[in-house]
Amino acid sequence: MSVTDKTGAFSRLGDGPRLTQSARRQLLLTVMPVIVLAALVAAIAIANPNFLRASSIWTVLDSAVPLMILASGAMLVILVGGIDLSVASLASMASVLVALWIPALGGWAVPVVIIVCALAGLLQGAIHVVAQVPSFLVTLGGLAVWSGVALLASGASTIPVSGTTLDWTFTRVGAWNVPSAVLIAAALVAVFALVLAFTPVRRWLISIGSSEPAALMAGAPVTQTKIAAFVVSAACAGFAGIMLVGRTFSGAPTLADSLLLPVVAAIVVGGTAITGGFGGIGRTIVGVLIITVLRVGLSVAGVDSSYEQIFYGVLVIAAVAMTIDRSKLPFVK
Amino acid sequence: MAPARLGLAPPETGRAPGSPRPSRRPDRATILADFGPLGALVLLCLLFGFLSPQFATWGNVRNVLDSASVLAVIAVGLTFVLLLGAIDLSIEGVMATAALSVALLVANSRNDLDFGFMGVLAAVAIGAGFGLASGLLSTGLKIPSFMTTLGMSAIGIGIATVLFGGVQPALRSPELAEWASGQWFGLTRLTYVAVAVVLIGILVQRYTRLGRYARAIGGAEELALLSGIPVRRYKTLAFTFAGATYGLAGVMVTTQLGSGIVQAGVGQNFAAITAAVVGGTLLSGGRGGVLHSIVGVLIVTVLVNGLVLIGVSPYVQGAVQGVIVVAAVVITAWPLRKRLRVVK
Repeated sequence: MSVTDKTGAFSRLGDGPRLTQSARRQLLLTVMPVIVLAALVAAIAIANPNFLRASSIWTVLDSAVPLMILASGAMLVILVGGIDLSVASLASMASVLVALWIPALGGWAVPVVIIVCALAGLLQGAIHVVAQVPSFLVTLGGLAVWSGVALLASGASTIPVSGTTLDWTFTRVGAWNVPSAVLIAAALVAVFALVLAFTPVRRWLISIGSSEPAALMAGAPVTQTKIAAFVVSAACAGFAGIMLVGRTFSGAPTLADSLLLPVVAAIVVGGTAITGGFGGIGRTIVGVLIITVLRVGLSVAGVDSSYEQIFYGVLVIAAVAMTIDRSKLPFVK
Repeated sequence: MAPARLGLAPPETGRAPGSPRPSRRPDRATILADFGPLGALVLLCLLFGFLSPQFATWGNVRNVLDSASVLAVIAVGLTFVLLLGAIDLSIEGVMATAALSVALLVANSRNDLDFGFMGVLAAVAIGAGFGLASGLLSTGLKIPSFMTTLGMSAIGIGIATVLFGGVQPALRSPELAEWASGQWFGLTRLTYVAVAVVLIGILVQRYTRLGRYARAIGGAEELALLSGIPVRRYKTLAFTFAGATYGLAGVMVTTQLGSGIVQAGVGQNFAAITAAVVGGTLLSGGRGGVLHSIVGVLIVTVLVNGLVLIGVSPYVQGAVQGVIVVAAVVITAWPLRKRLRVVK
């Protein structure tokens, strides 16, 4: 059973029916998202054969990039069992800051903004871990604070970006007209995948998400790993905000705010359990593609975009209901 | 199962079974929790009264009470959810749907319906329906409430957007407008509505099973379950009651604005959580109550009002609330810290 990897087979020794149940659950979480994605692509391709042309595939992938970057970071926090509700507002803040700072700093605005966002994540992670405040609350507070910073810095208006500083985020390269954003996201995902595959980080994340006291007793660097997850999540959010500025040529204090629910939806639809300890970057890619393709599918089917929010709400609740590991929650608050 | 079981210490309270609290701490903590917020409110009023001559005028007091009325109604409902140890992030969505529903059901500029106060009741019932759905999803499917209510909020905003349909419905109902502008003894009628809801909230909390059981469940869910309390039913009921108050709050905002908008509840969710926490209703459940939350509502409203009067940018308000709520939770949770405590 390759799917019952390190995520908790140990804790279920000598527990016959449990083992098969959890094995079935994990198999479901692995196979279902891929099937859903394939079915969606097939359905849209039948409805509109143009969907499978190279140019439209590149366009769809291109539009998935901000979501992909946000979700890769936020996935780490969910993997350790927490949640980061501040990513969308951090991305908005990053868009405002980068738009404000490009005139003075030029290209250096990009790393500076990512560092500022990473520091914001460090603050949230430190409060969560040191003061032992639930992560949803810290990041909900963070959401309000970063939105406030963005509103204050921008004077609640859209800040246009002129010049070619951010052109690299939104051009086409090579003979196949590959969108640069897709290459950047692919590189980022590759880095995530390599780190998770060849360093102990993945084991730490999953052991913390599965059973934090056990991870602590086994000597895993629990505090550092949890804080690092928040830092990476926030840095990714900042980077996603910069990518958004590249497409709209402006930064705005609410630019990315509507992305929070799609990010959470993408992560859980991909099969990462909201209870932590199960998931990974591959599942997140599938989840992001499902959300993006669904959005395309809805417009192909002629559904009004005002229904989109209803649809995300239903999707998040349904996906969480299917992926949650109830054996970990004695009481559901 | 052993390693996983270790993680079962109640996640937010840290009150591990078999570890009694130090005997003297609860007394001091309780006194601080009961009277600290009230003291903070008095201090804030004195401070702003000193900094701004406009603060302590009758007109401004009326402003504060006026703007506190909507938040107070929300906070009454939210308090019951927080007493359970759950959280409700659906307020903005529920208020949006209730606001659009009431605007389309009473005399308005979009259609020929005119149900008068039945329309108001319908909007409150729609709010209760949202609460019921959140409660059933949380207890039936065993999903953490922050997740279900986040989803419900999006659904509510989506429904409101569909109802809005690009054309803003304006109220054409004089008797409803009278409730927003008409005054009794110098205060708008909506202020008295809020006072009535607060009184109902206090009565429900003290004298009904809903209030009693909500506190018991939030204090120790396992004990409540073992002593035969139908936990799921009362949890669902608490969410439903809360949904009804958000629905009423949506109606109140709509009468104040004179038209139904999707943004009716923007910012209220966070303000209500801040108010409850600052007032001493702990997010870990079982502590606090309606009166605590109302003191918190006044603190938040006075703070917002005072900051505007002394010339602080209104954009900072949300950020100030964010800092306050995190700080308040850090302060109240600090004594419960433990090396092996699991907080997600």
